[in-house]
Amino acid sequence: MDFQGYKIPEGLMYTKEHEWAKDEGGLIRVGITDYAAKTLNDVVYVTSPKVGDKVSQFSAMGTVESIKAVSELYSPLSGTVANVNQQLDSHPELVNKSPYDEGWLVEVKPSDYPTERKLLLDAKAYADHLGSLLKK
Amino acid sequence: MPRTTQLFSYHRKHAQLTEFAGYEMPLWYTTTSEEHLAVRNSSGIFDVSHMGRVEIKGTAATSFLEGVVPTAVKTQPPGKAFYTLLLNERGGIIDDLIIMRLSDEHYVLVVNAANKEADLSHLRSCSPGPNLEIADFTSASVMIAVQGPKAAASLQPLADLDLSQLKRFRFSETRVLGNRALVSRTGYTGEDGFEVILFDSTNDNPEKALRVWEGLAHSSSPCGLGARDSLRLEAGFPLHGVDIDPRTNPFEADLSWVISAGKGDYVGSKALSESKSPPDFVRRGIVLGRGIPRHGFDVLSDSGKVGVVTSGTFSPILRRGIALGRMDQNSSGLGAKVRVMVRDSEVESTVVKPPFYDEQAYGWRRRSNDN
Repeated sequence: MDFQGYKIPEGLMYTKEHEWAKDEGGLIRVGITDYAAKTLNDVVYVTSPKVGDKVSQFSAMGTVESIKAVSELYSPLSGTVANVNQQLDSHPELVNKSPYDEGWLVEVKPSDYPTERKLLLDAKAYADHLGSLLKK
Repeated sequence: MPRTTQLFSYHRKHAQLTEFAGYEMPLWYTTTSEEHLAVRNSSGIFDVSHMGRVEIKGTAATSFLEGVVPTAVKTQPPGKAFYTLLLNERGGIIDDLIIMRLSDEHYVLVVNAANKEADLSHLRSCSPGPNLEIADFTSASVMIAVQGPKAAASLQPLADLDLSQLKRFRFSETRVLGNRALVSRTGYTGEDGFEVILFDSTNDNPEKALRVWEGLAHSSSPCGLGARDSLRLEAGFPLHGVDIDPRTNPFEADLSWVISAGKGDYVGSKALSESKSPPDFVRRGIVLGRGIPRHGFDVLSDSGKVGVVTSGTFSPILRRGIALGRMDQNSSGLGAKVRVMVRDSEVESTVVKPPFYDEQAYGWRRRSNDN
């Protein structure tokens, strides 16, 4: 869906900190939302965790940095990092150009997916959350 | 409520906005990188109407300014614009500014938006006397910067003046789209370019300002404060309130070139003549390996902390983090290897003299520039 100019695809899971998570059948792909990418405006460095690192739900696992600001990256789920998007080393602008596709950040092998997924938002709930932020 | 400039209706429609110095200003229209590169490679326009514009008039004008700034005033020819500083009695920098000399009895000062009120009260406290008028005309005018190697081509169709005849740091009174204007070949990006002050324009009648802006926007990219900051940093220009402040003297700021030798006393001259030489710390450029330096990050060497980042950004030209920093004198040598603490990691870095870009390829001195 499109919410006040920000794309929020159906079928993804979201955090209140503007990450998305997508079930790829075993692995969970993670990125930042169109809103987060547009707010950062101009991503120039992505610092991701390393393959094999343990991450826990809603804890910081990296940073996304733009010319103006640095933003923490929080993991939507607990588990082990299985892949990182190495294209972002040379093309960090993919996060802005294609936040839900080529600009993905990491893939996590989840350790407690059935329980933790219930704590994530669907597209509608994320749009409501964004709406309340933008009203402020 | 923040103030707005006369171009606000355009910004609101096209830009992400931010508050700066009490004004609601454009932060970016597209992205900071794109706008930055437009200025380095072509031409960009900036609404700089928030900057303070002050007129100084009267038979005492020259002698007054001569006693206020460290740069010689009376030897400047009419039509000259020059960069200088306002100092306090301790020699600290109250503000940095451009002074334009229209005549012996008439000057225009362009000062930082955030410092305008402090500057005005400082100027008024320097006992102007009866033959002097100090008038703030900021809100009765608009100021637009046109910057980049193609700035002249972008501005020329709107201006009565032949811009090819206007030298760097010169200005002329002319008309732009029929409106009374002052056009100077100055800027804050390191590139060739112009700053246009349009007179007789207020928030109640923004139409002519908007016509000029939109006329320029056909051939120049609108740029926000994001690009203004990254461009000035890449050129190595300090930002007052961040890189320099009332506790920094011109030697520490690496701005001692503004001090004219052999001129008489001025506010701060006594303190400067007694100041430590060389100073304990000095402003320098720093280029980083990876990561973006931010205000307040520490700079280290093997002997411990040797400096602090005063402002930093990512350079779209170098594709690296760059900073201006306040460095201890003994770690300020050009080429010195230091480490910048970027949050929890130490990044290998080098002390340099700005500008950060190659002046053969970028900036107003570039080879392709025939001015």
